[in-house]
Amino acid sequence: MRRAAVIGALLMIGAMLLFAIGKMPAMNSRNTPDKTHVVPRYLEKGEEEGGAKNIITGVILNYRGYDTMGEVTVIFSALCAVVAVLDREKRGLSRSGPDASGVRSSVIVRTVVRFAFPVILFFAVAYMMLHGEGSPGGGFQGGAILGASVIVFTLAFGLPESTRRMPLKARIPLESTAMVGFLSMGIIGLAYGVNFLTYLLPGVHLALAQTIRNLMLTVIEVGIGIGGGVIFISIVFAMMREDKDELQPDVPQP
Amino acid sequence: MTWTLNLLLLIFLVTTAAVAIRLRDLLAVAIVFSAYSLMMAILWTQLRAPDLALTEAAVGAGVTTVLFVITIMKTTRRED
Amino acid sequence: MNFSRMFHNLNYTVSVLLFLMGLYTVAVKPNLIKKLIGLNIMETSVFLFIVSIGMVEGGQAPIIAEGVRSSQMVNPIPQALILTGIVVAVSTTAVALSLCLKIHERYGTLNASEILGRGEL
Repeated sequence: MRRAAVIGALLMIGAMLLFAIGKMPAMNSRNTPDKTHVVPRYLEKGEEEGGAKNIITGVILNYRGYDTMGEVTVIFSALCAVVAVLDREKRGLSRSGPDASGVRSSVIVRTVVRFAFPVILFFAVAYMMLHGEGSPGGGFQGGAILGASVIVFTLAFGLPESTRRMPLKARIPLESTAMVGFLSMGIIGLAYGVNFLTYLLPGVHLALAQTIRNLMLTVIEVGIGIGGGVIFISIVFAMMREDKDELQPDVPQP
Repeated sequence: MTWTLNLLLLIFLVTTAAVAIRLRDLLAVAIVFSAYSLMMAILWTQLRAPDLALTEAAVGAGVTTVLFVITIMKTTRRED
Repeated sequence: MNFSRMFHNLNYTVSVLLFLMGLYTVAVKPNLIKKLIGLNIMETSVFLFIVSIGMVEGGQAPIIAEGVRSSQMVNPIPQALILTGIVVAVSTTAVALSLCLKIHERYGTLNASEILGRGEL
């Protein structure tokens, strides 16, 4: 009965949405209203005003900088919420389910991860984060790959080994680099008398101003990258930890 | 050619979503959801959005799937 | 109901279909993790819809390189907005999964009907 009511409601919603799709302009066409007002200016002046060859980086850091600041706030709040809900950092053990069984990963997995981990780290930091302005990439992509590489390391070698290499004292300052990078670069604009988050400073010689702008964009991107990566790592570590009463009774306590 | 590729990708997308909804073993659901993320990443590449493809591949397969597997490992594995 | 237009805008139609499938999962299935999978499917279907609007026939990626003219690029604004959207989606999934862990610790089950039926606090 309930299922039939839900399916009926969904069919009505679907009929309304499909009717609206029938009225939309055809896909893949060039002169729909969303492409004729602001977009030609963004595409033509994207490189000189945004400061990067990758127009998407120019859009998210310059034309839509406040949205990116909001995104950084959201991901930091998610970390705070996960750690506050789970409440394991202070009283939990640094063990997880696979470690408690005492069976290590096989030799093949450990050797491959040992070779692949520095290569992935290099790709994430040197190519994605730092070269994100000239090719597809950017700060957040590099940070996500950084987090994923440490997660692979944790899955192959176990949580105590991984926590030994990235202890809590090292993770806490790095988690806030994204927000700190954004705010500090934004306040530089205020110090010169223009808006918050302005990159081209007035009253400075043009070539020097462009160099300063590129430097500021790089600092923000690296900040978002490292902050996002360490936030993902901290979320996964916090969820993998065990509480004292969760371990099976025949596992020796450390 | 591009239209055929687009159609094929969309059919795969709907199929993996339907399978993920239908299965009862939650660990299998997490793996099929990772395949759904992969199909979505290829679709972003076909829609000329390389930044989105990189982000979806790294986040969908790297972080979301691992979070689901960790949660399923610590709670029930069957649906009912 | 313009069926030929609906069939030509295939990305939009599939996005609506995925949205309805996700909504069905959230409404009907009792397991909390299934509901989260449905929520994720709904979110990615909306991303597909918005980015498909900006697509241009024979367009190039919006990156300035050799031989790419700026009049041939696809619309960059939906891509920038959806990049933020993907980050928000993974953040809400992480918080929801940690809440599921705590609920299982407290109630012993992840079945929404059983949890609601108990009524205790």
